[in-house]
Amino acid sequence: MELTTDIYQRIVAAKLFIDEHYYESIDLDQIAAQAFLSRFHFHRLFSRIYKKTPHQYLTQKRMDAAKLFLAKEGISISDVCSMIGFESPGSFSSLFSKMSGHSPQYYRNIAWLKKKLAEEQPKQFVPHCFIEQYKVG
Amino acid sequence: MITRLSHTSIYVNDQEKAYDFYVNILGFKVKNDVKMENGFRWLTLNAPDQPELEIILMDVLHESNTSDTFDEEARNAFKVLMDKGILGAGVFNTPDCRATYEELAAKGVKFAGEPKEQFYGIEAVMYDGCGNWFSLTQPKQM
Repeated sequence: MELTTDIYQRIVAAKLFIDEHYYESIDLDQIAAQAFLSRFHFHRLFSRIYKKTPHQYLTQKRMDAAKLFLAKEGISISDVCSMIGFESPGSFSSLFSKMSGHSPQYYRNIAWLKKKLAEEQPKQFVPHCFIEQYKVG
Repeated sequence: MITRLSHTSIYVNDQEKAYDFYVNILGFKVKNDVKMENGFRWLTLNAPDQPELEIILMDVLHESNTSDTFDEEARNAFKVLMDKGILGAGVFNTPDCRATYEELAAKGVKFAGEPKEQFYGIEAVMYDGCGNWFSLTQPKQM
């Protein structure tokens, strides 16, 4: 069955609500309310459109944000945990490791190393043909 | 034997504006953002589900681009094409074209029209505002 423009706009509004409030303690009832749909109906439509459940999408959003914060300096890992809406550093750490393949600390070490290398030896990141074309260095 | 594409360029006439479009609006992820001594910025992105392909947001008009083949005529030609927004840079896939259209239109992205059924799926044409148009396609399930 084809969905109407109105339904699309309501589901998109709920997705944007997740994008803007992922760091808060939001649940399915709040998200579904943005679309003026029941939990069940919303869950079914969201999953059909985005090929992942609202919870999977929210978790992915939080993990993506965690990566950005972990790459920054001056923010502790427990602060990152609370900045993305997790209450327990332990559950954050284990979920992050499961989804990214590395612990938050390991991910941070690699990100900081890469940043340092980019500052000290930027040409290492650019294929030689572009260095020639753009007269880099 | 060639096995895969690892880098591809999108030529843009405003790299900062392009960053905002591709990262903040489309949700692409920054792979490398490196500043060279001569001011040239090597900025590459990944589409959300395609970490193996680096998309270079290429500031092709940067003053450092002074190779023999990129002469004044080539520079002017690029500028004209990008200012007109007529470089057709490729096809982006989406699981649902209509939903993505609604979301991006709400964020102010310009489209040539509403999504339409094609024999290969559902498609809308969008503009990046930095010189390029793209097909936004929901491939037909085979």
